[in-house]
Amino acid sequence: MHKYVIRRLLLAIPVLLLSSLIVFGLMRVMPGDALTALMAESGNVGERELRKLREDLGLDRPYHEQYLIWLWQLVSLNPGYSIFTNEPIAAALGKSIPVTIELATLAMLLGLVIAIPVGVLSATRADRPADYVGRVVAVSGLSLPDFWLGTLVITFAALWLHWIPPLGYVSLWESPWRNLQQFLLPAAVLGFRLSAATMRMTRSTVLEVLREDYVRTAWAKGLEGRIVVYKHALKNALIPVVTIVGGQLGTLLAGTVVVETIFALPGMGRLTVEAILFRDYPVVQTNVMLVATTLVTLNLLVDLTYAWLDPRIHYQ
Amino acid sequence: MPTDGPVALRQRVNRREFLRRAGWGGAGMGVLIVGAGRARLSAQPVSPYPDWIPPSSKPPKPGGVLTRASSWDPPVLDPRLTQSIGLFQFAALTSNRLVRYAFADEASGTNDLTLKGDLAESWQSSPDHRVWTFKLRQGVKWHNVPPLNGRELVAADVKHCFEAYAKEGVQSFTFREIEGMETPDEHTLRVHLQSPNVLFPQNLAEPITVIFAREVLEEDGDLKKRLIGTGPYLLKEHTRKVRVVLARNPDYFDKGRPYVDEYTILSTPDAATRLAAFRTGQSDILWLASLGEVETVRKTNPAAVVQEYKNVLAPFGLALAQDKPPFNDVRVRRAISMAVDRQKQVDTLFEGHGIPGWGVPYIYYQDKMPTLAQLGPWWRHRPSEAKKLLAEAGHANGFETTLFYYEYFPQMTSQVQLVQQDLKRNLNINVKITKLDYTTYYGRYVESKWDGMAWGFQSGHAVGLDERTYQYMHSKSTKNFFRVNDPLIDELTTKLRQTPDRGEQRTIARKIVDREYDQVLRMWMPYDNGFLVFQPHVRNMAALALRRTDGYGASAIARLWLDK
Amino acid sequence: MSTVTARVAPFERQPTATPRRGEALWAVIKRKPLGLASAALLVLLVTTAIFAGVLAPYDPLATQPEIRLAPPSRDHPFGTDDIGRDVLSRVVHGSRISLWVGVLAVGIGTGVGMVIGLLCGYCEGRLDLLVQRLMDAIQAIPGLILALAIVSVLKPSTTNAMLAIAIVIIPGNSRIVRGAVLSAKQNRYVEAAQAIGCRHPRIITTHILPNVTAPILIIASIWFGNAILIEATLSFLGLGTQPPTPSWGLMLSSTGRAFMEQAPWLAIFPGLAISLAVLGFNLFGDTLRDAWDPRLRRQG
Repeated sequence: MHKYVIRRLLLAIPVLLLSSLIVFGLMRVMPGDALTALMAESGNVGERELRKLREDLGLDRPYHEQYLIWLWQLVSLNPGYSIFTNEPIAAALGKSIPVTIELATLAMLLGLVIAIPVGVLSATRADRPADYVGRVVAVSGLSLPDFWLGTLVITFAALWLHWIPPLGYVSLWESPWRNLQQFLLPAAVLGFRLSAATMRMTRSTVLEVLREDYVRTAWAKGLEGRIVVYKHALKNALIPVVTIVGGQLGTLLAGTVVVETIFALPGMGRLTVEAILFRDYPVVQTNVMLVATTLVTLNLLVDLTYAWLDPRIHYQ
Repeated sequence: MPTDGPVALRQRVNRREFLRRAGWGGAGMGVLIVGAGRARLSAQPVSPYPDWIPPSSKPPKPGGVLTRASSWDPPVLDPRLTQSIGLFQFAALTSNRLVRYAFADEASGTNDLTLKGDLAESWQSSPDHRVWTFKLRQGVKWHNVPPLNGRELVAADVKHCFEAYAKEGVQSFTFREIEGMETPDEHTLRVHLQSPNVLFPQNLAEPITVIFAREVLEEDGDLKKRLIGTGPYLLKEHTRKVRVVLARNPDYFDKGRPYVDEYTILSTPDAATRLAAFRTGQSDILWLASLGEVETVRKTNPAAVVQEYKNVLAPFGLALAQDKPPFNDVRVRRAISMAVDRQKQVDTLFEGHGIPGWGVPYIYYQDKMPTLAQLGPWWRHRPSEAKKLLAEAGHANGFETTLFYYEYFPQMTSQVQLVQQDLKRNLNINVKITKLDYTTYYGRYVESKWDGMAWGFQSGHAVGLDERTYQYMHSKSTKNFFRVNDPLIDELTTKLRQTPDRGEQRTIARKIVDREYDQVLRMWMPYDNGFLVFQPHVRNMAALALRRTDGYGASAIARLWLDK
Repeated sequence: MSTVTARVAPFERQPTATPRRGEALWAVIKRKPLGLASAALLVLLVTTAIFAGVLAPYDPLATQPEIRLAPPSRDHPFGTDDIGRDVLSRVVHGSRISLWVGVLAVGIGTGVGMVIGLLCGYCEGRLDLLVQRLMDAIQAIPGLILALAIVSVLKPSTTNAMLAIAIVIIPGNSRIVRGAVLSAKQNRYVEAAQAIGCRHPRIITTHILPNVTAPILIIASIWFGNAILIEATLSFLGLGTQPPTPSWGLMLSSTGRAFMEQAPWLAIFPGLAISLAVLGFNLFGDTLRDAWDPRLRRQG
């Protein structure tokens, strides 16, 4: 097992390099560049000024040079400066990561807390009314886009409750109550969709596992029904669920952009998407690599969890 | 010489007109036309909302906090590098310009374009209008923060600014006009221009021509980290994508002002959220595009004050690659212009409150808003004429072309699609639409190498006549995105900036626009008038022509006060 | 199957031959009401998409700005939009776009992902190592960002949005299939089949595939809904379907949101359409699993 872990860690390096190449390549191939975005609503910038600006920003060097320079900056944990704002990227990340982490964590918690019990309930009462209701509600959660749900929530909160989350983000340490007020609605919107997918997956895998032989064996041994379900079935049913949840973390870490936009939270999603739209290469590349590293680590953890959950799987 | 400068562009408002306008404010509304929001034809309907909110007659109360949910984020703090409204919505308050336009509480109406002194007390030009001398106010202090520490502003500071603007950045075109400058004493700046320009002070009154601090540039190497000026507010906090907080400058040269202690701008990219913020009192100012939206807000906030904002120009139009076929043929341009039903767009998309579209602010050449008929034969919707003309130009069966745009606001997409339909139906021109993101759109547009069509713009900030004519239409200008290349226009716009007489200026401006309409050099499209909505306790906030007080005209917030 | 298998593992799964699958599916549809409902929804969707030209009362692109923002009426059962186009006709034609988006994005993404996952999981070794690293590299980039970047590079359009979504789906699918294959491979009948010399393709199709199909179909049905939603989000961010195309996602994200209070029908009908389509596909995925999962079949 240890050899496997070390091997996977070593293999993570080419994976991340590959990811960085993909991102770098995509950003460079996009039409327009950061300078264009910077020159908002002007146009009387002469060739000379453009060239100077391009030099200052390092955009005139050949691509492989730009790539290697950036890679070196990343590895030495000194990611450089945003083309657009000239702010150090590390500072910008330091401010936006907590926002997204808080949002994602709250959303996932809300999602799981609803999804797993409801999924198990639905599976154990399969094909009865409770099951139908659960499944239809779950699908509606999956079929409402979060920008739509978010808009609905903020509009009707203002209309009916005469209250919307206080605008102007404050961190959890500065002002916990205000912060929680700001995150409650967006986390609920995100969590609703997450819970739907998780619930369905929980239901179907629990259903499958409930009919597994070792479950029937355990039942034949005379253990009390509920223990059978939760202990044996859930453990195995959780394998695909763990994958889904792991995958959702990936979606979450950048999929928060819509909710962050509507609820005016300065998170990583907004930072990254706006950086793409404004062709702020270093910001996009650094952000994506940060998330990629996190995800690769998560994937490794997920694979290890497979092995723990299903005793029949083992890795050489 | 009068202190307002030799070129006082005063809207000629007679007494009756002024009283009529004054009577619109407050509870005594004029005629209310109910049931707005659906189609309206022929006569220009009367909106239930006034287009001018006169300043309050009560004495201003100092104090309070103003908040606004804004859709604009500043890309950078450096005024040399951007003209973005995201910066100038507050840079207009941290800094001053040499000259400015009248504020709401000193203007006689929305179209009052009187130049007033900001940092300059007075100014005059040599007879040939090549040398301009500005007398600066005495006792103007920089903000009392390091490295300026409240020292007095001197002419050398302004000179340094202008030199910096000329050297690099987005304003270099304007400032390269300057041949040289002198500061004979601490409060006098003398500017020598390369060629005569009667309208030079107007260029200095542009909201983006802020005076920044030399020491900051020298210490930091750029202006991206600190924004320090002489203005009524200090930049207390700037958290990117979250908020900008401005604190009152106690040493401001305009004693007693500003009134409001603190102005917070909250970064709120989503329109529905900004609306919700206004409804729940978290935002004091809101801009809405249509009467329908205004009525929706008034249902929940009946006390909200609404100003109908009447545009004096349309910032958007159909830009054609007119340096190449088929659009280099004036018959093709005229045909396309006649095929588009502008009045219908105004009546339906803009619920009657839009303008059919023209480029140069009409207040520079006439008193009343132009009607569609006044724009000439090529601007009326005459599909059969259009078809004939296009056939004459050799395209009886139409042709294929492309159009790219960026959705600045939702109605724009509606407009683009309506135009697409008009051209298909009436001329058999097939337009393939591509909606782009801002960077791609902007980059492609200003590069001016694109083929086909684009939904083009002229700058949002420019107030001055020179900017709106010479700088946008002269064939040699770098801001000529519509690719106008007409010798008569070149001649007229150059002559304009050498004509001191107000009456003659109007005549020349009139000739310029007539030529523009006749040759369809820029095909302007209808534009909405929008509405500014305020919480009932906000005073002196009325928007003025070309100076929306929440945006480029934000310097007017120095005169704003809160009645609560 | 062979008697060896039967003797070795009496409780192991018995894979069935393909022709009986159709019957099995039909049996389940008849029996379970949700199965019937979902099948009906899908038939409705496909029929609407195919016969959109006939079913739609007006040209979905014909603008009549004089009657813009009209509420539902006899002439226009779903009302009209911001430039007077008939919403019913646009929703009907939108079914084509959504079907196109969903089927192609999910079809390509799932199909390619499944093939990759099967190969990697079954063969393991160096192939598995290399390909899975590539999949990891792609999957490490957050899905929306990747889709956004791909569409930014290509021109924004429905087709390109679809391709972007397909690329996003592939790595996840391959991982799940691979995991299921690894799980299935541990079963003794596979070892037995290998021991008696069954050829690999046969082992894959008869022993492994059936156990993999269920998770894949469930994933595919979820992804169908996701594909439509990602397309809608891309439209919200400005990089999806181009106007005037009547895609449900574009209708919901642009005019639906802009006129939410003034003309709610602009969002209700495309939103309902999206929900019903996603509902149909998800429930149908459940039905497929109920019908085809051999373990469940055995339970009757």
